[in-house]
Amino acid sequence: MKLLAATNRYYVLLAGLLFSLGSGLLYVGVLWALQGEVEERLFQQRDYLRREVQRTGQLPGTPFEGRMQLSTTPQPEVLRDVLLLEPLENELEPYRQLTFRLQLNGQTQWVSLSKSLLETADVRRLIMWLLLGVLGALLLSMVLLNRWLARRLWAPFEHTLHQLRGYDVRQHQVLQLPPTRIEEFTQLNHTLTHLSERVAADYAMLKEFTENAAHETRTPLAIMQAKLEQLLQLPDLPAPAGPLVADLYAAVQRLARLHQGLTLLSKIENQQFAAAVPVSLAELLREKLRQLEGFIEDKQLRLEVSLTTAGTLPLHPALADSLVSNLLHNAIRHNQPGGLLRVQLSATELAITNTGPALVLTQNPEQFFERFRKQNAASDSPGLGLSIVQSIATFYGFEVRYEHDAEQALHTLRVVF
Amino acid sequence: MSSELPATFRLFKPYIPVKLLIVEDEPALRSSLVEYLRQDGYVVEAAVSYGQAHEKIKLYQYDCVLLDLTLPDGNGLDVLRTLKADNSAAGVLIISARGALDDKVLGLELGADDYLAKPFHLSELSARLKAIIRRRQFQGQRQLLFQELTVLPDQAQVLVHGEPVILTRKEYDLLLYLLTHPGRVLTKESIAEHVWGDAADAADSFDFLYTHLKNLRRKLQEKGAADYIRSVYGVGYKFSAE
Repeated sequence: MKLLAATNRYYVLLAGLLFSLGSGLLYVGVLWALQGEVEERLFQQRDYLRREVQRTGQLPGTPFEGRMQLSTTPQPEVLRDVLLLEPLENELEPYRQLTFRLQLNGQTQWVSLSKSLLETADVRRLIMWLLLGVLGALLLSMVLLNRWLARRLWAPFEHTLHQLRGYDVRQHQVLQLPPTRIEEFTQLNHTLTHLSERVAADYAMLKEFTENAAHETRTPLAIMQAKLEQLLQLPDLPAPAGPLVADLYAAVQRLARLHQGLTLLSKIENQQFAAAVPVSLAELLREKLRQLEGFIEDKQLRLEVSLTTAGTLPLHPALADSLVSNLLHNAIRHNQPGGLLRVQLSATELAITNTGPALVLTQNPEQFFERFRKQNAASDSPGLGLSIVQSIATFYGFEVRYEHDAEQALHTLRVVF
Repeated sequence: MSSELPATFRLFKPYIPVKLLIVEDEPALRSSLVEYLRQDGYVVEAAVSYGQAHEKIKLYQYDCVLLDLTLPDGNGLDVLRTLKADNSAAGVLIISARGALDDKVLGLELGADDYLAKPFHLSELSARLKAIIRRRQFQGQRQLLFQELTVLPDQAQVLVHGEPVILTRKEYDLLLYLLTHPGRVLTKESIAEHVWGDAADAADSFDFLYTHLKNLRRKLQEKGAADYIRSVYGVGYKFSAE
């Protein structure tokens, strides 16, 4: 809900409430005054009748406006509302009736004086329409005013919002927001400008940190690797030491690859691969498959390739390479001897299927992409391959889906463009 | 003199001492590089900073420069620029810890011969270095000799007792890598990485290496070559006549 609509709602609620209350009071008050007037007249007429009867001994000849009834049967002396038949229109109409006792010619008579309330009803209706009209006008003008205010007062806010939407930290830019007439918006713009300055500075620092961290860890790794390799060359290295050094060497290798993978992930997440060129995935797949030929043959995999599109996607070449390699390596590495390797590329998706035993975590495909998630703890791979795949896919807005066909023991990874 | 010559250098004919400059600020890595490459028979000098490197390339001629890009007092790429501006004949192999794609692209654009990211296998470094020197220095008569084996890198051809052997691309790459490191222990990792690159990730063990080496051995022995490929238990392989 818009802020204005929200405040508006309260205004309208309050206005409506006060107005109804006021209208109610006014209505009751007017009604009360009008009825009082009618009763006053009835009392005046009663007093006049009594006076005339006392003076002349009989009822006055000119009747009152309204009606008068005489009755000899005793009736309660009250003031009440009654419905009487209007002879002209032949329908019942509301009357106020005053009944009282009168000594006429030594006889007790009960007189009922009635006065129409029809005029009162007219006044009532008029008041109601007037009030409704004023209420409607009030609400309508409030809505119109707010709509106008929204366009006028909130314009700088919309401008700020527009600027924010287009903000991209990768471009190392600082938001340029002009001051406005409204103090709150000026404050907002000021804060945002300040914030964007800090974000840009932090981003630059983070980037620098990632690069420095990468540099600083690579050098000790290089030293370790070089020293171990030298150690292996020593002519008098005792025979049992060889495998120990080799294990150490392999561990350093793993560390180096892990480092490489994590650096790549953080670079993707820091969006440092903004440059894109048109990449033909079909061509890339063909090239990779050619490179992997030996491994596919070694495992005697049945290779099924269907590349039905020659189109290109705008990708960073290194990321495209990493995406395709990781998917293919994964499918070959976890395949069974004599298994199936199916590569399907269409204009909308890339699907790579391989045979393999059911995974322990098939229940929860989400885990499939977690970092360091490995099916086999003894495996040399750092377990980052699929995280990298997903990270690259997310970066380009692709969706990665994992499907498992238990019947045929097939695993499929699908990248939907 | 030739009897004292390290095994590697008997590969090249005729023998010309190859002069290297190593520009690396990290002492521990520098010492490893210097020692390893001296054992390979190179004449090695080292520079620890940009200033020193700059001075040395201005004063002396080198056949190849191993260049670290991140130096305490400057950018290694400037050393490369100076070399190119002086029309130096030296080959340049960049060894960088930055591993950023831009560095590699820029380095190669500026005229470096090759680029190696840290950490690297010393044997890989040595293989790349030899490739650069082969390309630059022994034009016209490039061949590698080891006992009855002859490799002609230009034609990618292998001869045993002068008779050609038909090898697959991978077998040839394997042989060349082993042959350029005679007497060295080569780890399985470095061999796999050199011959297969990233694709080696697709395998779940180094068994494929064994298969390919077995085939290579068989093909060489069928033509009458002795078996020079020795496996070093738990470590890798060694190409050696002893």
